[in-house]
Amino acid sequence: MTSTTTFDALREGDTIDGPSFAVSRESIRLFCDASLDYNPLHLDDNYMKGSFGKTSFGGIIMHGMNNFGLISRMLTDWAYPAGALHRRLETRWLKPVRPGDTIRPQGIVKTKQTTAHSRWVVLDVMVSNQNGEKVAMGEAMVEFPLAKAA
Amino acid sequence: MAQAEAFETDFWKDANLRKTWDEIVPGLPRKTLPYTLTQEAIALYCKSVGETNPLYLDEVAAKAGPFGGLIAPPSIHILLMFSCTPADDWMRSPGTINAGQSWSYNSPARPGDVIRLEARALDKFIKRERLFVVHDNVFFNQKNEVICSGRGQTIRPA
Repeated sequence: MTSTTTFDALREGDTIDGPSFAVSRESIRLFCDASLDYNPLHLDDNYMKGSFGKTSFGGIIMHGMNNFGLISRMLTDWAYPAGALHRRLETRWLKPVRPGDTIRPQGIVKTKQTTAHSRWVVLDVMVSNQNGEKVAMGEAMVEFPLAKAA
Repeated sequence: MAQAEAFETDFWKDANLRKTWDEIVPGLPRKTLPYTLTQEAIALYCKSVGETNPLYLDEVAAKAGPFGGLIAPPSIHILLMFSCTPADDWMRSPGTINAGQSWSYNSPARPGDVIRLEARALDKFIKRERLFVVHDNVFFNQKNEVICSGRGQTIRPA
């Protein structure tokens, strides 16, 4: 799909491909500095050798919200050139992401809806790793305001 | 990086002051702090997720764009959650695991905004032996416009 689109031209099943993102200890540390989230889950290998109730990670993991930020980046890069606005994002995490992984977000148009004052696109969103495994999934909403419609 | 330097990055420090799952009362507001969002903080956040959109980074281009000036990416609330809460806030408890989030976006945050958070736990429950808290958060700018509102779930350290 091209970077600019219109509400009318969108079809169910249209896809948006987001940027590939290489995860490293350095990228995780940078996200700590940028988000101020210094939870030892993302910093401390010794701490991560332990177990967390019923969960064991075995080493540091990427912030789940780094996935969120990448999905949001994909949506705004798609929406803004079309005069549209990223209005909602809901995500949940399916698998931990670790240093050495390469992840990529994707969106798929699910429905379009016109309301009294605007137009909306609902998308399924997901992030996959280099093995094609989904590490995060969710749903997003993009508004195509009538006044700014192409 | 000035912001990170002024921020206590050792989340173990004061960990004993933070509320545990047992102590968290759904409905009770969390303590929050006003925070002035800087262009430097926006640029650092952009770098961390690979954002290159000139609307966030290029003052001249942003001024000619649809928002009439620089804005922050919608997901800047990831930073705001920690910058608008004090060191004894339970979101900083080591071992807090993010179990999912949903956010709605209204007015974009801009550099120079003095941002205020209203936040509370809404619910807490036990599922598959894990201790969950549901929280809701609303960020406002200095004009009392809603920037964004969100709901999240975290699994609390046992």
